[in-house]
Amino acid sequence: MAFIKIENLYKRFGNVAAVNHIWLEVNRGEILTLLGPSGCGKTTTLRCIAGLEKPDEGDVIIDGQSMFSQGFIPPSKREIGMVFQNYAVWPHMRVFDNVAYGLKIRKLPKKVIKKKVTETLESLGLTGLEGRFPGQLSGGQQQRVALARALVGNPKVLLLDEPLSNLDAKLREKMRFEIKSLVRRMGITSVYVTHDQAEAMVISDRVSIMNAGDIVQVGTPEEIYKKPANRFVADFIGTTNFIAGEISEVLRERELVSIHTEFGQKMLCKIPDPAMASTNKKVTISIRPEDIEVFKEPREGADNLFKGTIVNRAYLGNFLYLFVSVDHTMVRVQAPYGIKQKEGEELFLFLNPEKCIVLP
Amino acid sequence: MSRGNLFLSLLLWLILAIFVIYPLSFLVIESFKIAGTNDVGIQNYIDFFKDTYYLKTFGNTLLLALLVLLTSTAFGLPLAYILARYRLKGKTVLTALILLPIVLPAYAGAFAFMVFFGKQGTLNLLLLELGLVSKPVNFIFGLHGLVFIQALHLLPFIVLSLSAGFTNIDPSLEEAAEVEGAGGFKRFITVTLPLCTPNYLAGAVIVFLWPFTDWLTPMIFGQIDYLPSISYINIAYHFTDMYRKYMGIVSVVVSSVICIGMFLISKRWVESKKYTSLSKGTTLEGRIIEPGPIKRFWSYVYMFLIAVLVLLIPTVLGLSAFSRRWVLTPIPTYWTLDNFRLIFLESPGLLKNSFVFSGVSLLWGVAFGLPAAYLITRTRVRGKEALDFVITLMLAFPGIAVGVSYLLAFWEGIPLATHWIIMPLSLFVRRLPYFLRMAHASYLQLDVSLEEASEISGAGKLKTFMNISLPLLLKGVFVGIVMFFIMAFQEISTAIFLYRGGWETLPIGIFLNWHRGMEFGIAAAMAFFMIVIIFILLLIVSRIGGGIIGAAWGSSGGRY
Repeated sequence: MAFIKIENLYKRFGNVAAVNHIWLEVNRGEILTLLGPSGCGKTTTLRCIAGLEKPDEGDVIIDGQSMFSQGFIPPSKREIGMVFQNYAVWPHMRVFDNVAYGLKIRKLPKKVIKKKVTETLESLGLTGLEGRFPGQLSGGQQQRVALARALVGNPKVLLLDEPLSNLDAKLREKMRFEIKSLVRRMGITSVYVTHDQAEAMVISDRVSIMNAGDIVQVGTPEEIYKKPANRFVADFIGTTNFIAGEISEVLRERELVSIHTEFGQKMLCKIPDPAMASTNKKVTISIRPEDIEVFKEPREGADNLFKGTIVNRAYLGNFLYLFVSVDHTMVRVQAPYGIKQKEGEELFLFLNPEKCIVLP
Repeated sequence: MSRGNLFLSLLLWLILAIFVIYPLSFLVIESFKIAGTNDVGIQNYIDFFKDTYYLKTFGNTLLLALLVLLTSTAFGLPLAYILARYRLKGKTVLTALILLPIVLPAYAGAFAFMVFFGKQGTLNLLLLELGLVSKPVNFIFGLHGLVFIQALHLLPFIVLSLSAGFTNIDPSLEEAAEVEGAGGFKRFITVTLPLCTPNYLAGAVIVFLWPFTDWLTPMIFGQIDYLPSISYINIAYHFTDMYRKYMGIVSVVVSSVICIGMFLISKRWVESKKYTSLSKGTTLEGRIIEPGPIKRFWSYVYMFLIAVLVLLIPTVLGLSAFSRRWVLTPIPTYWTLDNFRLIFLESPGLLKNSFVFSGVSLLWGVAFGLPAAYLITRTRVRGKEALDFVITLMLAFPGIAVGVSYLLAFWEGIPLATHWIIMPLSLFVRRLPYFLRMAHASYLQLDVSLEEASEISGAGKLKTFMNISLPLLLKGVFVGIVMFFIMAFQEISTAIFLYRGGWETLPIGIFLNWHRGMEFGIAAAMAFFMIVIIFILLLIVSRIGGGIIGAAWGSSGGRY
């Protein structure tokens, strides 16, 4: 059930449409990530949900209540919690006062405030730091204070704007899981903004990928990875190889096509959408490095088997990373480290038709 | 630590020792001498604090300082907020007008307001004519007038420091408060204002100290019961009465101690409150909002009113400058260029002296300030903190203390006071920190790696400075140079003690002409002329600051 509805949201900065008429629903209790490169409009969308930005058109509906079209509801009346990219922990207040701020504004009794703040600080491992000023905390601790402040009032919605981008890599990885389990446990509907795809995969129930103000695809992390809607998504999520080509023949009930590729050979691919299966149509094939199989010898009559030369060979511990030139097209391959061929030597790549994704 | 840096540091210390530490300690020693005897002791101080007159003077000054601070804060706070946060058309021009008093000498404003707001002034005459009042209103003579004129003169310091605070606050700190449920005023009180206190204090201390420094404004308004004024009168008029002279010196020392004490306390406090935040991705212009129509209207009205008050200063002075015998009429009735003829034909020496003294002190300022800024920001030479500290302390020293100490120290000890060089020297010492601060700030903006890259490419320290640092510093330093010149050009509180026949500067000319009573027109013409010169200098700054140099380094304007 949709708890947050974004309806036809449009926001312009100067002549640029930062958010271009998007529609999006966030279900009750789920963590949805807005993922995309910088400038794609994800932060602007989040700030519209918060009310820190007013859209030029469209509306945001939280729990059945319109935020813009029936009179602007300011951020202070939206009952939301927000974690900012730079934490925005007030440097002139102690940790306790930072976390208690919203509760004091709501004029809760002192005892209740003390209890809630103490509990929240405890759940984030900040017990004992109540009396410190933010300047006396590490970046990770400040991050936790920001999180505690956002969560302490039991908000309807939790908004997180790249909350981990200022932390070092180790801590970032740890915090992903921590935030996820904390938010899950509290059951708060959350919108999480990030440009880090690995972070999005770990943290979200669903991912919404944005590019240049538009939502390109919405789906679970697995759907997004396995069935990218277009070239942008395939490229943005994980690593992939793109091979340009033209459909030369439609086979097997419009499920399989034969494609004439840029390196001059035919390739068979499964096609997800029968509507795309028409001859002479220009397409892009996407195949992930880990989906390519490597053989030392050619196999008679096998489809999708191409001869290539190793240009670059890197040892990455649990596997090998190869750059293979197939008739001047560079293909990235993740191969088991048993492969003994050196740079400059030949091998054969099998591009499984089931794993090749044909994109418009 | 390289030998060159050490040598440079020693050289700067030597200059400080001779021209700052020696004369100021002379002043302190003198204050302990007892009139009519060869004894030394704290008798002068005991007398000072036992004498009800001096105690009253002391109290007056303190009260004035407090009232000036309160008034300028009350008027400056909304102004700073408007300037920092609202997107308004024509804001740049209005800002320039509102900040103008920072470069105008305080006495120019005092003269102008006396003419406009005085009992026989334009405003009263107009009110009488319109029948709105039956007898003249006392707008300006008394404590309230002093508070008004000094608060207006010092308003820019409050506005500049507060609006810097409002601009520099990371927007997300305020947004976080909004999300937490604190809208509008509540957010302003709990988050915005507390975060601005370090900035505010930096400006507030300058404002608070001013009444301990400015001896001329109270005198123009016919009041002498303030510490700096009574010091001036005791020392300049009654130097043969040893007791009064020592009382004068004691009150200079007392003022200096208060100024330095306040300065150090606020500095300490600001440093302890320096809020470090992990800000990233904040916009350069901070949080600028589009005000609603009502806010917009009142913002304009408010800015406009203050701009009009400021504009009164050059307008009234201009009217007086081009007229004679302006009495008992709202505007002058007899127009003439006589005043200017008198200045240019009969005393061109004033202008020449002003330019020469300011120019020479400027050269020394640059020659001292650049190496000092270099030592402080770029080296680890021992004692650089102390060097910075001593120079910065000069910000707090009342000009009158520099003037009196120079008079005492270079008259008997080192006989420099008989040569005109004493004039630029005192200007140089008085304005020592100004140039250093500017150079310091420019140095901080200059990325060290730019210099390091030059050294790695084979250039020595001096070559790197000439080829890389200096061209990049030029803009910041250039603005500093012009500001230094403007400050030196209008300086009177030190020079008044040191000038001899033939060394009079324009400000001294203004003072003397006013003081002789009859020649207000000439004094006004000189003050007007000075404002014109300051205007031209400012124009050059904005032209070069924003034009040629801005173009050469792109619109980033000084952010390298």
